[in-house]
Amino acid sequence: MMSERPVLVIGAGLAGLAAAVELARAGLQVLVADQAQAPGGAVHRQPLPGVRSVASRTQRRRWDGLMTAVQAQGARITLAMGTAFGGVDHTGAVLLTGAGARLFRPRALVLATGARERVQPRPGWTLPGVETAGSLQTRLKMLAQPPEGRVLLAGSGPLLLALGAELTRLGRPPIAIVEAGRPLARPLAALGLPLSYLTEGAGYLARLRLAGVPVLPATHLVAIRAEAGALLADLDTPTGRRSQSADRIALHDGIAPNDIGLPDCPALPMVRAGDCREALGARAALADGQAQGAALAARLLGQPMPAPAAEVIRQRAAQVLVARLHAHDGAARLAALPGDTILCRCEGRSLNDLRALGPGPTDRQLRLDGRFSMGACQGRFCAEWVARLAAPDTEKPRLGAARWPARPIAIADLLAAPDETQGDPA
Amino acid sequence: MSTILWQGRPIPFHPGESLASALIRAGVLILGQAPTGQPRAVFCGIGQCQGCLVRVGGRLVEACLTPCRTGMDVFPEDGEHDV
Amino acid sequence: MPQPPDFDVAIAGAGIVGASVAWHLAGAGLSVAVIDATGPAAAASGASDGAVSVASKKPGPLARLASASLLYTRVLSQGGPLAGAFQARPSYVFGQGAAELAAMDALIVKLGQIAGPVRVSADGGRGVLPGLGTGVERLVALDGEGHMPGHKAVRAYLARPGITPVWPARIMGITADDAGVTLDLGARRLRAGRLVAALGVSTPDHFPALPVIPRAGQLFITDRGPAGALPGSLTAAAYLLAKTDSPAAAPLPPVVIDPLATGQFIIGSSREDHGDPLRVDFATLRQLMTRSVAAWPMLAELRVIRAFAGIRAAVADGLPIVGPLPDAPRILMATGFEGDGICLSALIGAEVARMARGLPPSDAVAADLNALSPSRFTPQRQEGRA
Repeated sequence: MMSERPVLVIGAGLAGLAAAVELARAGLQVLVADQAQAPGGAVHRQPLPGVRSVASRTQRRRWDGLMTAVQAQGARITLAMGTAFGGVDHTGAVLLTGAGARLFRPRALVLATGARERVQPRPGWTLPGVETAGSLQTRLKMLAQPPEGRVLLAGSGPLLLALGAELTRLGRPPIAIVEAGRPLARPLAALGLPLSYLTEGAGYLARLRLAGVPVLPATHLVAIRAEAGALLADLDTPTGRRSQSADRIALHDGIAPNDIGLPDCPALPMVRAGDCREALGARAALADGQAQGAALAARLLGQPMPAPAAEVIRQRAAQVLVARLHAHDGAARLAALPGDTILCRCEGRSLNDLRALGPGPTDRQLRLDGRFSMGACQGRFCAEWVARLAAPDTEKPRLGAARWPARPIAIADLLAAPDETQGDPA
Repeated sequence: MSTILWQGRPIPFHPGESLASALIRAGVLILGQAPTGQPRAVFCGIGQCQGCLVRVGGRLVEACLTPCRTGMDVFPEDGEHDV
Repeated sequence: MPQPPDFDVAIAGAGIVGASVAWHLAGAGLSVAVIDATGPAAAASGASDGAVSVASKKPGPLARLASASLLYTRVLSQGGPLAGAFQARPSYVFGQGAAELAAMDALIVKLGQIAGPVRVSADGGRGVLPGLGTGVERLVALDGEGHMPGHKAVRAYLARPGITPVWPARIMGITADDAGVTLDLGARRLRAGRLVAALGVSTPDHFPALPVIPRAGQLFITDRGPAGALPGSLTAAAYLLAKTDSPAAAPLPPVVIDPLATGQFIIGSSREDHGDPLRVDFATLRQLMTRSVAAWPMLAELRVIRAFAGIRAAVADGLPIVGPLPDAPRILMATGFEGDGICLSALIGAEVARMARGLPPSDAVAADLNALSPSRFTPQRQEGRA
């Protein structure tokens, strides 16, 4: 067994495990590493021992089916939980840290690191008690215990409705859902969505309506202040400004591939699967994981390439429509933010700091002089907005190339990983 | 019941729970200070934003990714290092 | 036939050397354009650790020039452009094993011969500085050196009125005649009385006869540690071994541990002959880390937040190239500093500015500057590529 180099899959969510199953079915040895303590990823985050699952029947069926397929592969698939991906270098060596720490050369690499949330900067978005909707939802899935106090959900996207409905089902409905777009304004257009989207969305809305949760369309949460032990959110509504007091605020402005700092390495066969390749959500992640896994297996074994996944194409069309239904002018409001708005959360760099660089700063000036995208998160939460503000006319702004490592690594951990690369064929 | 220690104060946790989750449930929202002096807190919950860094045994760890273990000594990360 | 000049002097390259030349020329009342393919401090100057070090310079002309430049850098930091960029601080050289200990003896001799501003303040075991680990057999503490982040110096120099920034602009061709130099920038032509080519790693694109190659050094940056615990840079004597006339194979990695004002550390570096700034490998990084932790054990508790390869312009004989091209004296070279530009830029900026104004070099440094002249290579110049 040790003589066969495994294919390494990073991420034990839908896409990663689906890819692992296809690779194992083809007869390959697969090692799946994930920083979490249990498989599931973000979407299928599993409840802690003794906690009742908050997942819907459909969700549970999807996950149980996948886990059954994983178990059917027996020893061909090994799970390394509590194990973080430390990157791959130009020689094809991969570093894992944590429980399954090692430095080795896998036969191939599947990156299935899922999605990250996009959150637009607003005054007060760094205050304690303000977090992303995904962060709040992750804890909900693990503990089935909603937070204390009044929860306000704001931003844009279907996740806000899903999270609101879950909180409601657990007996603590949010005080409001603030949605920048107008997803319900064109019901005829929405009919173009797959039936499963419509029934899921209708279910969420029915639950929220029954509990009397206000869903405020075309409304922007423009600023948050801490006041008298609570959070005060300024809402820009179609009929004017108003304030809303809350104890917790969850923000969410959409998702993007979680691919910042992920490597390309010519020395190693490598594919990306699921949301980390293209953020299309859970349904596509399963299909894409299967497709990418099968394609990689065919490539490694010199077999004919399988057909691309039709389901991924269907989901892409559905996501385009979802995005259109939620369309809003939020990004255009960036330039109108107050100057002291924090853009870089790591180093506390503000819009004023950006403007002080003068007109048309280069990437290098933004990074070295402005110190944007230089903190420990490598620009995950500021680079997109800083690049847009610095070059408003650019179609696809970016801010320098992300460097290794994708996430900070303790030097002691890096030195502790056993080196299995010696004597390996490079 | 199993507890971790936050600046010496016992905080209960559910088996398998992350430091971030246990601290939030105990009402601990501020986990340290940013270099600017602003309070830091859990933000992304999945190890991306580095907002929830805390110090365990002299090392910086992401509270949202680190499972609680009984008796773990956890301290805020506020730029005042005494390693 | 040639058009009248747009500028008195065009400077190709907005790194620390080009920026210093520009500052000095603008101060003398000349009109200056600074052209760069990317922008300020886009290459080696922006990727440097910022150590203003005489100790690490190759003995001979380079070390003497570095010493003079350090003095001048201090002058420019007293209310001049480098105020806020240059900080005086102690520096340390450590060693382990016979080869490194011998290199430290040679360092003390070198500094004694220069008799400049850098002095040995302590020489002993690892007890000299609290916090050192078992990887330190001997420590030499130096007074008089300092720290200057390259991008800060570049920004300060280029802020002087009279300097016209031209970036991003790629130079497609360079043509010199008796009256001046014409740069082909694709969309336009820029004419100047003289050209200063401070092109760093891009030098071979336009001057292929000059033996300048890209040399990469892997570096990594940590998150914040206890600020002030290490008062200055900690350099392995192996680094000195690499900077001699006959570079000996260093028995241990030539690490430099440099504390930043933020409490972060920047630690390097390897020496590899390629030009890919994103190319790092775990084997090299682990070697650098192992030695760094042995010298300064507290680093083990820190996290690496970024690693990359700093790309420096290296010259075959280990000396930079400074001075007029023999067959095109209106083109002045100022390139090939291989990371030494941080320390040398102040003096070189002043001296190249003198050359560009048709003045002779300052007496005190004339002989040493002459050792850097491009005339030491085959005196032929290629026209810029079409």
